[in-house]
Amino acid sequence: MDQRPQILARAAGGDLDSFSLLIDPLLDPAYRLAAVMLGERSAAEDAVQEASIKAWRKLRQLRGDAQSLRAWFLSIVANECRMARRTRWFSVIRLADVPAQTGDERESYSDLHSALLRLSPDERLPLVLHFYLDLPLDEVARTLRVSQSAAKSRIYRAAKRLRADLTIEEVF
Amino acid sequence: MSNNDFRRELNSTFDQMTGSPSPSLRDRVRSSVGQAPERRGPYWMAAAAAAVIAVLLVGVLVVSNPLNRRSNAGPTVTSPTASPSAAARPSPTTTPEAQLPAFVCTSGAAAQHPSSAPVAFVSGLRTGTHTGYDRLTIDFSNGGPSGAVELKPQSGTTFTQSPSGMTVTLKGKNGILVVIHGADLHSAYNGSVDIVTGYATLVEVKRTEDFEGVVQLGLGINGAGCYRAFWLSNPDRLVIDVEAAS
Repeated sequence: MDQRPQILARAAGGDLDSFSLLIDPLLDPAYRLAAVMLGERSAAEDAVQEASIKAWRKLRQLRGDAQSLRAWFLSIVANECRMARRTRWFSVIRLADVPAQTGDERESYSDLHSALLRLSPDERLPLVLHFYLDLPLDEVARTLRVSQSAAKSRIYRAAKRLRADLTIEEVF
Repeated sequence: MSNNDFRRELNSTFDQMTGSPSPSLRDRVRSSVGQAPERRGPYWMAAAAAAVIAVLLVGVLVVSNPLNRRSNAGPTVTSPTASPSAAARPSPTTTPEAQLPAFVCTSGAAAQHPSSAPVAFVSGLRTGTHTGYDRLTIDFSNGGPSGAVELKPQSGTTFTQSPSGMTVTLKGKNGILVVIHGADLHSAYNGSVDIVTGYATLVEVKRTEDFEGVVQLGLGINGAGCYRAFWLSNPDRLVIDVEAAS
């Protein structure tokens, strides 16, 4: 706790301005993560909003320093997306329907896009974190709440489902 | 296709999928956070007070019930680090050895608790030593957890704490990771979260996660990491016996 920067301590103490300073830079990556997991922009923004409220309420539970905040917050966003998918079943159907749309629409997708849509949201998650948000492996692991070797394995497994001939050297 | 090509095409696809957040997202988040109900204090205090009252009531009722006034012949030794509320609780009723499940040495899950709460509050962590095994008892104040309970033996006693990702090494030679989904260790529990028992087999119990409805406990043990896990009721509790090294 003593190592936390003052701004984190102030936010944990209930200062909304400090919290906003911390969380604002994370909203864009959080939205992108949620949008990939949920496949719907408005639902993604809702998830980010809910996750922000939870982060505000639970900031005192954050162990570690400000460096831990991004992984901690993104893990809350990912959880919020899972909950949103469970409670809003129609969005699951909508997402699952995307690859099965009409021929014209399907042709507008690249092979990679179609392959991505065939992955489950939890399979997309490590890819978003590693490739799109460019998180280092240890942060991916903390966001997924798994070990680094497990995170590496999940990234590689999901990437292999997109392109079967990928080697591990091409992924990391 | 090179790594860079793959990454570029993947990120371009992600861009297509996500677009950009609306410019109002920042204000929307700030506004909703500012209007969120007052956090922590009153809710935690109310929940803790309710849990203490419930535990006291159950304790008084059970202690005053003559049907429960039977001797406990087992060699249980309760830990001095048990939660403060444990004194008001009834002693665990003894279960004949023949009725208990066999010890296993591989990862597994305890049977689902029959009466689950959305989030079960752990109210006590108690340890004891018996002939042939050491015991960890996890008390719940409002029913068992709604999710699965997983037990994962491992070699070594290094566990990863979540969500910090920091590792911690416990006493002992091997470990068992206990993962309880749908529970928390902070609403009704205020005892030690790092219990060093001094026993021969189960030497340390440490909280490694208490976050978002998931509780993980690392057990530092001497021995092969064979265990049995089962539920007992009244009060609801999960019992984990760790087999003594032969």
